[in-house]
Amino acid sequence: MAGGGSLKEGGSPVFDITPHKIAVCHLVQVFALHTQPDMPFAFQSISQHHRLGLFLFSLTRSCESFLDPSLEELLNQLKALGGLAMLSEHLISNLLVLSSPDDLFNFFDKLRGVLAAPEGSSMEEEQTLLDPNSHLGIFIRCCILTFNMLPFEGVCHLLTNLVAYCNSNDSTYEMAEDDDFNGSEFHELLEDPEVYCEAAEFEEYGLENDAQAAENLTHIPSKFLSSFLEDNQASDDPRIKHGDGGSQSGGLIPLLNNNFRTDDNLGVLRSRWQIEGYLNMQADLLEKDAISFPLYSFSATLRQLQKLAPELHRARYLQYLNALYHNDYLSALDELHCYFDYSAGMEGLFSRSPSPSSEFEVGRFETALLCLGTLQCHFGHPKKALEALTEAVRIAQQNNDDSCLAYTLAAICKLLSEIGISNMTGIIGSPYSLGTTTGLGTPLSTQQQLLVLLKRSLERADHLKLTNLLAFNHLALAKFDLKHVKKPLLSFGPKASMKLRTCPTSVCRELRLSSHVLSEFGADGLLQLNDTGAFSTSWLKNLSAVGNPWLKKLQKPRSLSVNDYDTFQFYAQPNPMPGSVLQLAGASYLLRATSWEHYGSAPLVRMNALVYATCFADAASSSELSLAYVKLIQHLSVFKGYTEAFNALKLAEDKFSVSSTHIRLLKLQLLHERALHRGNLQEAQQVCDQFGVLASSVTGVHMELKTEASLRHARTLLAANQFSQAAAVASNLFCTCYKFNMQVENATVLLLLAEIHKKSGDAVLGLSYVLASLSFCKTFNLDLLEASATVTLAELWLSLGSSHAKKASSLIYQALPMILGHGGLELRARANIAVAKCLLADPSYLVSEDPDAVLDPLSQASEELQILEYHEMAAEAFYLMAIIFNSLGRLDERENSAASFKKHVIALENPQDEDNLPTHGV
Amino acid sequence: MSSKESYRVELRSAARQLSDRCLYSAAKWAAELLIDIEPDVHAPASSASSSAASARATPSTSSAARPLSHLHPDASAYRRRLRSAAASGDIAATPPAGVSYISTPVPDDDGFNSDGGNDRYLLAKSYFDCREYRRAAHTLRGQTGKKTGFLRCYALYLAGEKRKEEEMIELDGSLGKSDVVNSELISLERELSSLRRIGSIDSFDLYLYGLILKDKGCESLAVTVFVESVNSFPWNWSAWSELQSLCTNTDTLTKLNLKNHWMKDFFLASTYQELKMHEEALKRYECLLGVFRSSDYIQSQIATALYSLRELDEAEVIFEDLLRNDPYRVESMDIYSNLLYAKECFSALSFLAHRVFLTDKYRPESCCIIANYYSLKGQHEKSVLYFRRALKLNRKYLSAWTLMGHEYVEMKNTPAAIDAYRRAIEINPRDYRAWYGLGQTYEVMNMPFYALYYFRKSSCLQPNDSRLWVAMAQCYESAPLQMLEEAIKCYTRAANSNDSEGIALHQLAKLHGVLGHSEQAAFFYKKDLERMEAEGRQGPNMVEAMLYLARYYKSEKKFEEAEFYCTRLLDYTGPERETAKSLLRGLRIAQTAFPSMDIGHFGS
Repeated sequence: MAGGGSLKEGGSPVFDITPHKIAVCHLVQVFALHTQPDMPFAFQSISQHHRLGLFLFSLTRSCESFLDPSLEELLNQLKALGGLAMLSEHLISNLLVLSSPDDLFNFFDKLRGVLAAPEGSSMEEEQTLLDPNSHLGIFIRCCILTFNMLPFEGVCHLLTNLVAYCNSNDSTYEMAEDDDFNGSEFHELLEDPEVYCEAAEFEEYGLENDAQAAENLTHIPSKFLSSFLEDNQASDDPRIKHGDGGSQSGGLIPLLNNNFRTDDNLGVLRSRWQIEGYLNMQADLLEKDAISFPLYSFSATLRQLQKLAPELHRARYLQYLNALYHNDYLSALDELHCYFDYSAGMEGLFSRSPSPSSEFEVGRFETALLCLGTLQCHFGHPKKALEALTEAVRIAQQNNDDSCLAYTLAAICKLLSEIGISNMTGIIGSPYSLGTTTGLGTPLSTQQQLLVLLKRSLERADHLKLTNLLAFNHLALAKFDLKHVKKPLLSFGPKASMKLRTCPTSVCRELRLSSHVLSEFGADGLLQLNDTGAFSTSWLKNLSAVGNPWLKKLQKPRSLSVNDYDTFQFYAQPNPMPGSVLQLAGASYLLRATSWEHYGSAPLVRMNALVYATCFADAASSSELSLAYVKLIQHLSVFKGYTEAFNALKLAEDKFSVSSTHIRLLKLQLLHERALHRGNLQEAQQVCDQFGVLASSVTGVHMELKTEASLRHARTLLAANQFSQAAAVASNLFCTCYKFNMQVENATVLLLLAEIHKKSGDAVLGLSYVLASLSFCKTFNLDLLEASATVTLAELWLSLGSSHAKKASSLIYQALPMILGHGGLELRARANIAVAKCLLADPSYLVSEDPDAVLDPLSQASEELQILEYHEMAAEAFYLMAIIFNSLGRLDERENSAASFKKHVIALENPQDEDNLPTHGV
Repeated sequence: MSSKESYRVELRSAARQLSDRCLYSAAKWAAELLIDIEPDVHAPASSASSSAASARATPSTSSAARPLSHLHPDASAYRRRLRSAAASGDIAATPPAGVSYISTPVPDDDGFNSDGGNDRYLLAKSYFDCREYRRAAHTLRGQTGKKTGFLRCYALYLAGEKRKEEEMIELDGSLGKSDVVNSELISLERELSSLRRIGSIDSFDLYLYGLILKDKGCESLAVTVFVESVNSFPWNWSAWSELQSLCTNTDTLTKLNLKNHWMKDFFLASTYQELKMHEEALKRYECLLGVFRSSDYIQSQIATALYSLRELDEAEVIFEDLLRNDPYRVESMDIYSNLLYAKECFSALSFLAHRVFLTDKYRPESCCIIANYYSLKGQHEKSVLYFRRALKLNRKYLSAWTLMGHEYVEMKNTPAAIDAYRRAIEINPRDYRAWYGLGQTYEVMNMPFYALYYFRKSSCLQPNDSRLWVAMAQCYESAPLQMLEEAIKCYTRAANSNDSEGIALHQLAKLHGVLGHSEQAAFFYKKDLERMEAEGRQGPNMVEAMLYLARYYKSEKKFEEAEFYCTRLLDYTGPERETAKSLLRGLRIAQTAFPSMDIGHFGS
């Protein structure tokens, strides 16, 4: 039963009785007993009655405001329901009547009468009574029960709170007398002269009740949050009060946009269940978009929450997350240890079972270790992370915590695959050494270990029905399949069965399996776990927005980014998929984009990235979303040139903060490529150096980044015609890639080596490299790279003499479909020029007979190269065109081409002239 | 020393003023100190006259300050002189240099113009003494005098505190557990801040204001207010100790703008002690002892500092002395019990426990002492019971939380232990024992990597404690981690910071041996051996060291040294003796064939 949620947590009195609940109880009473003659209030229509019922239902379910709303707020919501003004007055007067403990006793006595007898024996009376097992019935029963269990002291406290609750209603008018508000805050503010002025204004406001002063509120609220409770309740009322004026909405937007909305003022707590709901929601938000959470004010809220509810350790976990996402290593570490010391891992992180184990047992610290490992991983300490995770595995095995074990294995996989590690000897000898191979004594490479771990984790996840993890593991396997050849694990035995190829089909299969697993979410009962009353909350929020047109206006911009619900369509379901599932589903699209990047289909990359950016933006974390944007922008730069790419980059930078690593990398990549094309080698070298700095200095870590950095370095040297140095860097890189088993990168490096030799004029040596690269490309199904290598091969053949022109042209024609279908501007231009050159070198071809056969590809190439601002090759194309025109005797066109040639050569020599776009300061 | 008499006069009037304002513990402190001033044997005439003056002053409160007021003018001149003289060596200044010449505020405005006011004050004070705080405050409503004003505010504050404590118990267990605040804080703060703004606030009000600010969490302002308070009335020890509790690091301490008064030395000494600068604290206390020769307070502080410096025997002597002088003393006896615990003196500890039990069994210190006794006896359940009682009496009793954590560790109740340690850290995040305890707990749970964080924290707070470094090293060395390089680093730190148990040297030698650094290993074995010889110890470690050294020197071809160790080994029984014998035999062969290196190789 839904309403029982708050009682599930067993022993401790999690269900607090608060003034707000008394008010709700009273409303329920009115709702249930409306037919009775002695009720002073009558509903105008049935629908009005129903609306009240819905309202009460969601009031008792809503969770986001972990604090009770003030009476003012409740009344506003009531007003929004329409036609219930009388009811508000009725409610206030009834609450005010409760002035002694005895009144409270009587109130709850009377409340008992609302519930029907359990057997329904006396149904003949003309009353609509509440079914004791209905949602509202359970709510009422909980309230009565809690009240009856209160000691006299508790009743006194309740009474005090009730008086404060009623007073808060008209505190707006009593601000002058309610000097406490200023008094308490004043001296805290005194310490800080800046705020002092605002406080002074604020005091003024208290006396004059001036609409202007409401703006001051926006500067101070976080201060107020940490102040005394009763003061706080006053602070939100004026906001609503003055809201109708609509004049100062500009000043209030920050108040709404930061996460301390009106209902967050810390007053009286609601049930533990609801606070957890709130905290979970905040955790999701934090992960999604940490930047929108101001570090200090959010942690102040959490600290307040901690103070109010010391048993609720989850707030500490949020503190940890907060510090983590704001890259505060020390405090993240502190909070993490603090959280687990207090909770002993009992609250659990993934298996949030509502049954706290009553038996005496040692805490579940494997979870703590898992978190510690992730933390170290996040901050780039792979060795420490690995130690922590290893210990987590050990403790998890010791405590028979299978699900944690599975998660830990997945975390290790993530660590191995994403950050990489130089030395695995530490783990091989460890007690959880990998099953089949221990006896054989053959050390496994990191990749092999990764594969074994992945499979193990997958098995466990499947066995334990951890759907999310299963999907994650499938994705990770797909990632693995994408880049690695699967070798048999045992190094002996019949070698004939070895098939040294990556299998796109297996990647595809894993991807599909991952999505398939997720689609099972709807079928089983997992959905219910996720329902924390978020829907009721949002409905209530919108309800108050209706009553408050000014608020509604403000909510608009927010609703663009968040799935919003219609105001009165209660039956409209919110998105049935939990956020984490959506995230995983999205990740599969992102991975699809990446795999197509490798397999060489630009349109499919774009499509998948677009799908991700449009469909999964809500659930995506900012880093993943930025990755999708990066892919789209890369696509732009390859197909539309740098101007457009930089425009798009600007938008992306606005959307994500500058600190986003993906975006930063992209910017460097774009800058480097443009500098190379323009021939601005100095800038290219600078960007290259910046690249190198981004990677960690530990060997074996951030391998992809390091590879890219030295690849770009070699390319810069090549552009500067320093062939021997370039070759040295490239062959060094090749060694590294070989050492770390990075076969996909090997193909690229080999191709680069071939290019270097081609440019240095050593075509024969280049041939061997390009052939090696081609075979790698075939093995890994890198179609686009293969096409590019083919073009290089053709160029090499061509440079060996005109006798090889036929062979070269046939090679190019072989690759052309791929290039024209999927290739970028540069590759297409290169192919076109190569086609023209082949024809020109072919002795059987006469220019005068069919000039268009060479002129068409050349002009197309020159157009594309101009977009790319690739001066060197553009000059080459124009040069060829000029010669052809010359031999054809088309002098005007020859002059045009020559002029263009000259323009590009000059631009190449003076690269600084066109430096108008942002370059440095990344 | 002419200043002694002035000390006496100052303290005498201060004690009276403090007890008039019902600041009892500060009054107690001042009175104790007053008694402790060494009597002047060769008292000059001036002292006699002034003591006569103070004797005259005794009957009425209002006249108490008169002798001081006429002392005032020449005193300030003296101070000016001193300032120029002591400006250079301010820190090292001995107490006489810091004589204060701030006159005790004359309680002229106490407003006993009408007899009614005085009567009301008397009534209120009686109520206060009977702990009817609200009633006292109510009696004093509308009174304008400074003393009555303070008493009213203070009574209100205490009433609020009392209610707060009650509410804490009432609300215990529910979600709103510790959100209880003293409901009087807001109105009191408003009143006192406005008083401060118009400048008509006296030092006692400032003290109360500081208390309120501290409760509210405005710590920096509280520090300023306390400083103002002690600058205008230095004899209020409660204000000093509140100030001390806010000085959590040396930076805050050095930034304090304190007037140079001899009370400042007490403050500095106790703050140094709290900041674990025990040597500095001891220095100051010894200086102070020059004036307050027989002060129990100073003696107990010195003993505590000595205990923290692990000078157990010296500390014990002082504690015994203290108990002899003042058999009903309970303060700081918990430290004494810790000391006895460390020395495993069963009977002395039981004697002490019995004594304090008879004196006052409901003192947190008494409970702690009894708990220590049970712990020493190995009855951990009972020990926990008494620690719990101590904590019920004072929930901020830091060492009780930590010690209770230790008991829980003994009882293998790790969750409870962790909880207890964490509570200790909540009270004082600089308590290295609690951090250490947490680390130990996790180590017990076989999570060495996780435990490292805690050991790191604790050794960061107490960098010169070899035990912490040894603990950390043991984590690194443990089977799952096997990070021997790091372990060696930690052991080296431990060995450098005076490792009394001698674990570090032995382990260093062993680890170097494991890693094949035979030269370092031999070096440390030798050092360890020397240490054991110096301490006159025997044991398996010694045999191990000698065996290693014998083998090492043999492989290094230093046969004489090798033979030396082998022969020493022969004194021991066990398998090593046989090994030594065979080694010796090998040595002889090698020595005879020494000229030819090749044969030497075969021999080994």
